[in-house]
Amino acid sequence: MSASKLRTLRVRDLSKHFADTAAVRHFDLEVTGGEFISLLGPSGCGKTTTLNCVAGLLDPDEGAVEIDGRDITRDPPERRGFGMVFQNYALFPHLSISRNVGFGLEVRGVSRRESERRVSRALDLVQLGGLGSRYPAQLSGGQQQRVALARAIVTEPPLILMDEPLSNLDAKLRLEMRLEIRRLHQSLGLTTLYVTHDQEEALSLADRVVLMRDGVIEQSGTPEELYAQPRSLYVANFLGYRNLVPVTVGEVRGDAVSVAANGSRFTGTRRGALAEGSSAVATIRPKDVQVLAPGSPGSIAASVELAEFIGDGFELSADAGSGQRFIARTPDRWSAGDRVSLRLPPERLLVFPVEGR
Amino acid sequence: MSAPAARHEAAESAPALARRSRRGLDPTLLLIAPAALCVLGLFVYPFVYGLALSFQPYGDNEANGPLGSYLAFFGDPRERLSIWNTLRLAVPATFIDVAVALPLAYRLRRPVPGQRALGALFVIPMTLGTVLIAEGMLQFFGPAGWVNKSLLAVGLVHEPVRFLHNYLGTLISLLISDFPAVFLLLLGYAAGIDPALDKAARVLGASWWQRTRRVTLPMMAPGIAVAAALSFVATFSVFPSAVLVGNPAGETRVIAFAAWQAAYERFDYSEGSAIAIVMGVIELGLVAAALSLRAGGYRRMRTEGAR
Repeated sequence: MSASKLRTLRVRDLSKHFADTAAVRHFDLEVTGGEFISLLGPSGCGKTTTLNCVAGLLDPDEGAVEIDGRDITRDPPERRGFGMVFQNYALFPHLSISRNVGFGLEVRGVSRRESERRVSRALDLVQLGGLGSRYPAQLSGGQQQRVALARAIVTEPPLILMDEPLSNLDAKLRLEMRLEIRRLHQSLGLTTLYVTHDQEEALSLADRVVLMRDGVIEQSGTPEELYAQPRSLYVANFLGYRNLVPVTVGEVRGDAVSVAANGSRFTGTRRGALAEGSSAVATIRPKDVQVLAPGSPGSIAASVELAEFIGDGFELSADAGSGQRFIARTPDRWSAGDRVSLRLPPERLLVFPVEGR
Repeated sequence: MSAPAARHEAAESAPALARRSRRGLDPTLLLIAPAALCVLGLFVYPFVYGLALSFQPYGDNEANGPLGSYLAFFGDPRERLSIWNTLRLAVPATFIDVAVALPLAYRLRRPVPGQRALGALFVIPMTLGTVLIAEGMLQFFGPAGWVNKSLLAVGLVHEPVRFLHNYLGTLISLLISDFPAVFLLLLGYAAGIDPALDKAARVLGASWWQRTRRVTLPMMAPGIAVAAALSFVATFSVFPSAVLVGNPAGETRVIAFAAWQAAYERFDYSEGSAIAIVMGVIELGLVAAALSLRAGGYRRMRTEGAR
């Protein structure tokens, strides 16, 4: 593992408006060399705007971008020396693969011999050795993606920016390239800022995930932190808590809270301030819902509406009455129409206050 | 069971298809008949007729054999000069149009405020036609027109500039009438270039000039070649403006005017046709040159890349 060329990247109080809408508001981030940071969020949350401000392709209205303590906020992108991978790869169609990869070296005036050596090394790194004389249109989507990666790393930039680089690939290739990106990041000691709307991608790749919503950071932390301890209902929902149950708060005892919904009572884990008698939302992941035989004690009665085979089991959509639906994953075979009992383990059922916004 | 059956079917269907196409045309092909008739009647027939006519010299030229009309044209220094007169207008007009339209089109490739108004402004000259433009120019650029009045008022000149009835008048008219087509064509090309390419080049460290030279211009090259070729053809066949705002007896005696004089002043249809054919050959030659230059440029890029 080689050492990162960057010590710190600081984004300080960054804001960017388009016309009257604020795309990013008061965004703060500190990245240490060698880290893999993922900016996660739905489209329109400001993650790409933030990335473009770091790249210099957009001018922030407020705030600063600093590299190793040096303010580069007003530097044009061509003077920042970062590497960037675009969603559609943005390969130059009129240049061969070698010249695409060598573009950054050529414009820096690197000698031809040196450039050829580095281009062929970069192409080997992304397993495209020997394809240098081809043209972008002659390559598959996955190969084009590798060329874009090679082009971004060949100049050995202090920071690599990636804007949804895998979203144009099919599922299988996406997994393959995900591993590839992580492998390159580690073996070359890169510092990477990675924008995605795919929570699985963010959690699997990043050392730290920054989840954004409406231009602000909703929560940031390690993938484990976000996964196990979502700070808000929004984060929980984005990270796979697909069951949402409107409840009324009962007794609160420490972190445990008892809630009522549709006449059934159950216990969950408190998240945020909850007052007795107030409305709240209880949420749980499909894989944490336990599907039991009908009539099991301490559970909710439901009937299976849909059962989808998902390889290692079934994903059920079950109706618990009064329009309340649960999605559950279970290794057992159930079919539509079956009566079941759903048990919601208290430690996995998170109860959030209803959001004010 | 099903595989051999499928193979059998395939073996059956190929000759069946061939048989059907031998037997007769697909009736839907008849739909191109009206268009084909138009092309035949309105283009191919007159063209062939004119070509044939050009090899049937008339009057004094008859003595020189079937090439008499061509010999008469090329043998007369004044007639020959009309080619030069036309090139002298068409080449600069094309060059200026492309040089002005190219940066403008690239600049306007992304939606900007007022783009529609600007677009309409550029397209209006197209709808006017050369005669109306010439009419307007006679007023606007005349000795007492707005242009001269303004120039005199700001003291740039001390007597009215002669814009009309000379080379300059015809050139201005050509620039006005041909600019829209060139601009729109280049705009279409520029709008088709992925904006991410410019961003990618910037992030990779390319300066404005490096991006222009290494990315924008090569990407625009095919569009430039086509726009220049079309503009050249349009300006090479200049006729009304050369007469109305030019000096058809002298410096703007263009080749189309020479053909018109032969055919309708001397009533030598044969020589008129011959001159028109010469005009066509020159146009074709330059278009072919422009397009092969573009193909050559692309090939060069490919071989360079392969190195």
